[in-house]
Amino acid sequence: MRFGLTLALVDRPGQLLKALEPIAKNGGNIISIIHEREKTAGVYVPVSLVVDFQAYENYRKAREDLEEIGVNITKSEEVIERANITAVLIGKLDFKRIVETKIKGLRIVDFEVSAPTSREACIKLNIEVPVELVDEAIMELKRISKEENAILVSSI
Amino acid sequence: MKILIIGFGFIGKNLVKTIYQKIELIKRFDKDFKIIGVSDSKGYLLNEKGLELERLSKINGTSDYSECFLKAGSSLELIEKSGADIMVEATPTNIRDGEPGITHIKRALTIGTHVVTSNKGPLVVAFRTLKNLAEAKGCEFRYEGTVAGAMPVFSLINECLQGDRIVKISGILNGTTNFILSKMYFEGTSFEIALKEAQERGITEKDPAYDVDGIDAACKVVILANAIMDRNEKFEDIERVGIRGVTSEAVSLAKRSNYAIKLIGTIDKNLEVAPKLVPVNHPLCVHGTLNALHFETDLAKELTIVGYGAGKETVSAVLNDLITVLKKKKEQ
Repeated sequence: MRFGLTLALVDRPGQLLKALEPIAKNGGNIISIIHEREKTAGVYVPVSLVVDFQAYENYRKAREDLEEIGVNITKSEEVIERANITAVLIGKLDFKRIVETKIKGLRIVDFEVSAPTSREACIKLNIEVPVELVDEAIMELKRISKEENAILVSSI
Repeated sequence: MKILIIGFGFIGKNLVKTIYQKIELIKRFDKDFKIIGVSDSKGYLLNEKGLELERLSKINGTSDYSECFLKAGSSLELIEKSGADIMVEATPTNIRDGEPGITHIKRALTIGTHVVTSNKGPLVVAFRTLKNLAEAKGCEFRYEGTVAGAMPVFSLINECLQGDRIVKISGILNGTTNFILSKMYFEGTSFEIALKEAQERGITEKDPAYDVDGIDAACKVVILANAIMDRNEKFEDIERVGIRGVTSEAVSLAKRSNYAIKLIGTIDKNLEVAPKLVPVNHPLCVHGTLNALHFETDLAKELTIVGYGAGKETVSAVLNDLITVLKKKKEQ
């Protein structure tokens, strides 16, 4: 599991090393570290880290250990890799059904509707879903299209 | 070697014309090459010394040849009594039961005649049976012309990617639907007008449903799945959506986002024929009557071939199969 952490570290030598110890101790694999010096607030420098933990429990324990040694965590969240899906739907489709779809983490980025000068309306959707749910999301769009008697044109 | 051509329609006639034009090239592989028999719905021609290629290339039907013509003689009878080494099966495709192609191919293989075919029907209905029969009889069974016309699909996989595992195949497998969708893409015309133009140009099947409802593409998906990916799929297994419902608005919406809508056949864990959005810079985004096939493999990763999938160009694949058999048999 991948997590993003922003730590407020005192701008003194050795502070970062101290903060990394609890992460390493709990099996965290550091993917990136960015010192955000332009956002310095007083003596504190925000340091953003992206860390892979084997399980949520390791992440929770690392957080606890960081707090125990007095490191301020200003932001912490799971990083979910997202994939973009573009699709065109042709037919009289109830758009609400897509908005209310039960795919976890589905986000409609944008959509464009074409006024039907021919027999059918159509809508172009741009959605984001967690990478591991791409197939599930396409299956769900297929199912809705079938039930609504519409045609799904998804990207290859 | 002695050749039989079963079916003297578009492919059969164009094959004869091409053989006539390229006979010197062919004779480099087999100096005794000759066409000894040709059959069509009227009857058959048989001359064990070889039919005259020039004359054969100018006739419209077997009955026009006059000599050696047996009225109402059946293709099966010709296969059995000709003593030919190679049979080219080029009768019309019938995807319901694969006949009469299946019977012709089975009979030829059973009596030890090598088979080259451009007929999709027998492969869609009975690929495994025919392949097993060919192996059991030690015969060549080649079918490059059945999928994507002139494009060397099976030769590419069987000769050039022998160590690769094919993970996914996707592509444009029907030139007529690509012509229609390209018209809609470039000229903003409706499906109906684009279809009419395709019909006027004579590039649709008699029943356009065969093209526009994805039936032809689905047949090719079955053949590719069974012949390349060693599956045992049937036509009914394909999830199929055609292009009748694709509107000019949908094409234009897609175009504004740098996509073209293409009828794509896909073979991975599922088998599907459906209209898809293809990014305009993707190698599958080819237009007009072109076909394109994109392979994803474990070693070569991605590979795309583009070419003409129907018409006279198919003769290229049939002739290559024929020459391959001539070369193999010469080497033995």
